[in-house]
Amino acid sequence: MRSESQDWRERRRSAADSMRKETHQGNGVMVPRTTKTLVGGREGGREGSGKNPFAGPYGLLSTVAILYEEINEICTGHIQTAAAAERENPQVAERGILNLSRFLSSKMSGWDRVRSARSRLGGRTGRQSSSRTVHLGHVQPQNPAHRTIYCNDRDANLITGFKGNSVSTTKFNVLTFLPKGLFEQFRRVANLYFLFISILSTTPISPVHPITNVVPLSLVLFVSLVKEAFEDWKRLLNDRVINGTPIDVLHDQKWENIPWKKLQVGDIVRVKQDGFFPADLVFLASTNPDGVCYIETANLDGETNLKIRKALERTWDYLLPDKAAEFKGEIQCEQPNNSLYTFTGNLIIQKQTLPLSPNQILLRGCSLRNTEYIVGAVVFTGHETKVMMNAMSVPSKRSTLERKLDKLILALFGVLFLMCFIGAIGSGVFINRKYYYLGLGEGVESQFNPNNRIVVAILTMFTLITLYSTIIPISLYVSIEMIKFIQSTQFINKDLHMYHIESDTPALARTSNLNEELGQVEYIFSDKTGTLTRNLMEFFKCSIAGEVYGTGITEIERGSAQRNGPKIDQVKGSAAAVHEKGFNFDDARLMHGAWRNERDPETCKEFFRCLAICHTVLPEGDESPEKITYQAASPDEAALVTAAKKFGFFFYRRTPTVIMVRESHIEKMGKIQDVSYEILNVLEFNSTRKRQSVVCRYPNGRIVLYCKGADTVIYERLMEGNHNMKKATREHLGQFGSSGLRTLCLAYRDLSSEFYGSWNEKFIQAKSSLRDREKKLDVVAELIEKDLILIGCTAIEDKLQDGVPSCIETLSRAGIKIWVLTGDKLETAINIAYACSLINNDMKQFIISSETDEIREVESRGDPVEIARIMRDLVKQELKRCLEEAQCYLHSLSAPKLALVIDGKCLMYALDPSLRVTLLNLCLNCSSVVCCRVSPLQKAQVTSLVKKGARKITLSIGDGANDVSMIQAAHVGVGISGLEGMQAVMASDFAIAQFRFLTDLLLVHGRWSYLRICKVVTYFFYKNLTFTLTQFWFTFQTGFSGQRFYDDWYQSLYNVIFTALPVIILGLFDKDVSASLSKKYPGLYKEGIRNSFFKWKVVAVWAFFSFYQSLVLYNFTVAASSNSLNSSGKMIGLWDVSTMAFTCVVVTVNLRLLMACNSITRWHHISISGSILAWFIFIFIYSGVMTPYDRQENIFFVIFVLMSTFYFYLCLLLVPIVALLGDFVYLGIQRWFFPYDYQIVQEIHRNDPEVSSRAELTEIGSQLTPDEERSYAISQLPRETSKHTGFAFDSPGYESFFALQAGVLTPQKAWDVARRASMRTQQPRTPQN
Amino acid sequence: MSTTAASTSGAAGSADSSPPRRNSKRPKYSKFTQQELPACKPILTPKWVISAFTLISVIFIPIGVASLLASRDVVEIVDRYETDCIPESLRGEKATKLAHIQDPLSNKTCQRNLTVPKHMKQPIFVYYQLDNFYQNHRRYVKSRNDEQLRKGREANTTSGCDPEDTTSDGSPIVPCGLIAWSLFNDTYNFTRNEQSLNVNKKDISWKSDRDRKFGDNVFPKNFQNGTLIGGGSLNPNISLSKQEDLIVWMRTAALPTFRKLYGKIEVDLEANDVITVVLQNNYNTYSFGGKKKLVLSTTSWLGGKNDFLGIAYLTVGSLCLFLAMAFFIVYLVKPRRLGDPSYLSWNRNPSGH
Repeated sequence: MRSESQDWRERRRSAADSMRKETHQGNGVMVPRTTKTLVGGREGGREGSGKNPFAGPYGLLSTVAILYEEINEICTGHIQTAAAAERENPQVAERGILNLSRFLSSKMSGWDRVRSARSRLGGRTGRQSSSRTVHLGHVQPQNPAHRTIYCNDRDANLITGFKGNSVSTTKFNVLTFLPKGLFEQFRRVANLYFLFISILSTTPISPVHPITNVVPLSLVLFVSLVKEAFEDWKRLLNDRVINGTPIDVLHDQKWENIPWKKLQVGDIVRVKQDGFFPADLVFLASTNPDGVCYIETANLDGETNLKIRKALERTWDYLLPDKAAEFKGEIQCEQPNNSLYTFTGNLIIQKQTLPLSPNQILLRGCSLRNTEYIVGAVVFTGHETKVMMNAMSVPSKRSTLERKLDKLILALFGVLFLMCFIGAIGSGVFINRKYYYLGLGEGVESQFNPNNRIVVAILTMFTLITLYSTIIPISLYVSIEMIKFIQSTQFINKDLHMYHIESDTPALARTSNLNEELGQVEYIFSDKTGTLTRNLMEFFKCSIAGEVYGTGITEIERGSAQRNGPKIDQVKGSAAAVHEKGFNFDDARLMHGAWRNERDPETCKEFFRCLAICHTVLPEGDESPEKITYQAASPDEAALVTAAKKFGFFFYRRTPTVIMVRESHIEKMGKIQDVSYEILNVLEFNSTRKRQSVVCRYPNGRIVLYCKGADTVIYERLMEGNHNMKKATREHLGQFGSSGLRTLCLAYRDLSSEFYGSWNEKFIQAKSSLRDREKKLDVVAELIEKDLILIGCTAIEDKLQDGVPSCIETLSRAGIKIWVLTGDKLETAINIAYACSLINNDMKQFIISSETDEIREVESRGDPVEIARIMRDLVKQELKRCLEEAQCYLHSLSAPKLALVIDGKCLMYALDPSLRVTLLNLCLNCSSVVCCRVSPLQKAQVTSLVKKGARKITLSIGDGANDVSMIQAAHVGVGISGLEGMQAVMASDFAIAQFRFLTDLLLVHGRWSYLRICKVVTYFFYKNLTFTLTQFWFTFQTGFSGQRFYDDWYQSLYNVIFTALPVIILGLFDKDVSASLSKKYPGLYKEGIRNSFFKWKVVAVWAFFSFYQSLVLYNFTVAASSNSLNSSGKMIGLWDVSTMAFTCVVVTVNLRLLMACNSITRWHHISISGSILAWFIFIFIYSGVMTPYDRQENIFFVIFVLMSTFYFYLCLLLVPIVALLGDFVYLGIQRWFFPYDYQIVQEIHRNDPEVSSRAELTEIGSQLTPDEERSYAISQLPRETSKHTGFAFDSPGYESFFALQAGVLTPQKAWDVARRASMRTQQPRTPQN
Repeated sequence: MSTTAASTSGAAGSADSSPPRRNSKRPKYSKFTQQELPACKPILTPKWVISAFTLISVIFIPIGVASLLASRDVVEIVDRYETDCIPESLRGEKATKLAHIQDPLSNKTCQRNLTVPKHMKQPIFVYYQLDNFYQNHRRYVKSRNDEQLRKGREANTTSGCDPEDTTSDGSPIVPCGLIAWSLFNDTYNFTRNEQSLNVNKKDISWKSDRDRKFGDNVFPKNFQNGTLIGGGSLNPNISLSKQEDLIVWMRTAALPTFRKLYGKIEVDLEANDVITVVLQNNYNTYSFGGKKKLVLSTTSWLGGKNDFLGIAYLTVGSLCLFLAMAFFIVYLVKPRRLGDPSYLSWNRNPSGH
């Protein structure tokens, strides 16, 4: 047998060798990390399954089916036997297929060679046919939709050439660093421009020495390259450490220690406790007896709770090296992809096909916990691991200001062209033989040849372009980058005001591109749950059998009560009120077993059991009610299980098949009884189902399905009858909703064992299907989740975060409009909006809701086309009416503020292209907008509606995975790094711990950054224009020959040394008003929204003064020099005058900066005087020594000559003052008659002592209010993390659709992980059983 | 129930391994990161504006007066001669002027009488002033070789000197280049009352130029040997560092109108003295229509006669005074209370629209 298999393997290898080229090319199409190709790849896979009539639970058979299609003309006979065998007995069939494939491989090795040879010749069509050949299951492992891995058999895997496990995240290597790094740099237009100029300046037409342009360019490139190299070096070191990490691999029946990079696909590895998985593994065996292991996925998604993985029972034994060496499985699985939470594959072991699910996959990047060691087989290595495939760089956002900067640069190019044009015309006119001293005789080079004036003009044009190249500020981009980098890393990340003590989270700027964008935000789109609210869920009320329990009053109720006038007395919670994390319920009728005296104790019991059993929570820690902690996928779940515990149904232990509940107060008070419920099936939660069910068997054999889910979904599936209770419960749901509580309905159903048995078979079939497993599972679930009996409903409170109302109030005074986009119900959303003072009673509210009788009626008729038509008409009417009304209000005098509330269904129609404009107009007239029941797609659509339609700067803030698309769609995305996972943070540009920090982020950091960057940009513009214009004026007096006014070194160091530092200091330290005043006067922010500091008007003012200054600088120095300058009667020359002028330019430009400063620190003094001093030191040295190269002697001794004249000192005093006089007058008039808001605020607080407002922050934490103490204590508990916001409406389907459209990565359905982890694994059973 | 036991151990284990709380991520307080560096916050109030203007005018006006006085002290005699020194019959056409000046045999001697308006204290500087002469033209400025000028052994280094780099047979010209080639060569002889006035041509160039830029072992070679004569010739036996006319000429001027120092008369001239200048009108400015002027000037501490600085100082000083007053009046007429909240944009326009 062995020899035979080796034989066919060898033959296959020869075939595969010839194929490898094609296969690799095929891979090349798959691997590029663009979504398009990935999607294309997926579609290809789907297409394949569509063609395959046998697609079903037996993956192998499906390959046979393809095989059948492919080769039936070659060997009909064998196939017939195989097909017959399949009907009788799958195992026999498998054997048959194996035989068949061996037979085929022997036949086909030759056939393949022919085909592949043809494909090599035939180009594209040939390749297609060869990729079809790859479909042949076993024979050609590199099927586009599958990969086949031979475990523990390196030779067999060798031929398919899987990638190694070494990982490189570096951008460059030693050889590619320079070319690639330079290429990256020259993708910037400014750098490319300067490269062009540098090349030009090496030609004779250049008036300047190449160093003039090469020095600044190389300095800029050098700085950028050093930064790149440093970052890459760090990456390299990191890679080396990772690639060199040792791992145990099975070799010759013992564990051998090799570095990660040597690992190959198919290897059997052993990972010890707390170790990281070196690659994506199939989990085979664990030291834990029930074949489970615990993993932490913090590196993947930031979740710190543990997840369970469970090996297939069949592989549990392969734990010890001698045993594991016997393992010869074959894994067929999907091609490498980036979906972290899906995996489809089969393990074929001793001719038995076992389906693999994500539950058996251990992903690279996760680490092993609580397990001595595990054994696994490598499936994906290196860059093909899921985590690496996910490491896609998010397309970086550019700020609006930067885009406007591009326009400014373009304008500068225009000015440059104009100047050169004028100069070129002048030179053509000027050139003449009569200037005999210029030597323009025969044979003069064409640039000065008077016979051809056109050529002279054209060449002079180029000359002048090189001469005036300084008009484009080369160091601008580098400087801005540095400034922004320091702003984000030093100021934003380290701001104590944005540090959240309780969760120990500082703010985090994940990009430094968008600092100034924060200062111009006009629209904020906020998620509700976890963003405005704390996402600390507390069981607050419930309704059992039509009876409401729970006496608490929510903040929202309190708020609405205040609105409506009559005051509610502060109801003090009774002393017995139990307050624990997740539980804030107070009603003596239910506590301590008192429920047995209620009207319907049986329903109560079902209620509690449902809470205790129907969930996917993992208990952790001591099995006592006080010490246990629950690991839940969502805080709602943990709250419900905690509630069950409090009611006496203490869930304390979960095994894959059993849930243990310690029930007290069942029979009589105080009696405790441990009951184990066998969990038969778990029907998972997902956002389309919006419910979750568990089928369990009581110890007495009773089989029950417990279900909990959104009210709409549950009510659809209830058994007929019992209307009163349904009606009462529905009322309660409404009540709870309007109090801002999150509701869930609970229901159950008794199952007969026959019914269950037949259903279970279908379930197992669906579960082991290779394709569309999810969809099939949903269909099967529908079969059993019907005829439910309603138990009641729960209400969970989600508290508002600290300081949200005041933050929102401040932001709206800053002219920012806040929209709430939530998946919650209309009532809840409106109430939250009231609670955080987005809406108040003075506002005129427009409500566009699909919950009207009219629409209900249409919906009950159930014709989807009809529904769509009527809905659209209604929405259209409503929008029109609201818009008209809004415009009426707008024109009236005492206009109330307007608010719009719209729900997801209506929004779907309102976002239709034909209605979009109306919607936008209406929305822009409203000061607050609330969208409820919206999907993540719609969140993003609304965001881009405002972003693109209204061209306003938008900011999205959210905390959950369902906010990712919205965060990516907005100009600025802010993630809340609070209690939920890291998905939103990973997609965001800034991460803060609390919503209220938005005030600091926008009003302080954003505003300052905007102010600073504006000043930096305009100042750069000014200083280069001034400098270049002096040069330009000189051109007029040189016969337009393009003679340079300044020495080469002056010009090259002007940007990089003499004027570089002060502007950076300005960009870092300029501060118009202090942080506390920024928050006290939010109206200051409006200057950013209006873009007051970077309008064309502002630029024009700078340009005007730059023009004026250059005239003064040039003409004054030149006019004063026309005579002898001291009593010795000697005359000075060109270079003396230019040095004088340059000195004045440096002094003027630096002093102008000082005038632009709002606050002057010692750094300003140091940098400004330092820059001027640097110039003098430079010129003393430079003109003091003689270097052996020519052109330099021009400058020799110039400064000493100059300083021996009074001219020098008189000019130095006169010229800068005259030059700055204009600016000074302008600033004085502007401030006095047209003051900016910030200037008024400065004046109001001019006498305030400098208070170190943040010094007291160092002491914060010592004095906490009881409330704060409690929440602090809670935050000390292990984190509750979740990926979804309860059972609200969110639909990943929309998400992927949107992602597809936007060309971004589909957000992962991360919330499924924990549920899968705890899911009971179904052992594959043969259909006969 | 082995599975239960296993699960228990697992659960217990997981509790133990709950990740330990890391050290606080609380940012350290520093004035820099919290952006609380001590700073002075100047506010440009009218008080400041007015006092700044006043201060400027207080400083500038005296300086202006002083420099204007200094400039007025200077006695300057300017005599434009390029037309008058052409024989009358040839003055009409440009071509005839050119022919005259380019003819090496024609008599170019010319006599000018200058009257001294005021007492002139020695030293009296003699300048020539050229007009429309682009010494700052790019082709002209670079047409020299500093290496060659400085070092005797670098005579062959003539790069950049095109077209005056070598003679037609290829031997290098020292000093090469257009600047040297077009050396000014009018000469002036001064007599007062039949008594010749000595013109001292020593120390008319900057010392740094003489010492370092022009070598004392560099001697003119092949200079003005070509077919085209651009200007003056040099004595090949005197080293360049002693040829001060050349050194002065080669310090190229910034503007197309420039003066260069010719020499010094080291005796006082009295008022109404008549100075007779016998000049050789050799230099060709006629082809490009340039003016030639002879200038006799004394100096003050500020140098030659130049009213610009004085006028500029005075103008700016008085402008500032005017501005100070204007601001003051406007401040009185239309006062604004400092820090008046009603000026805040959201107070001016409460609706916010």
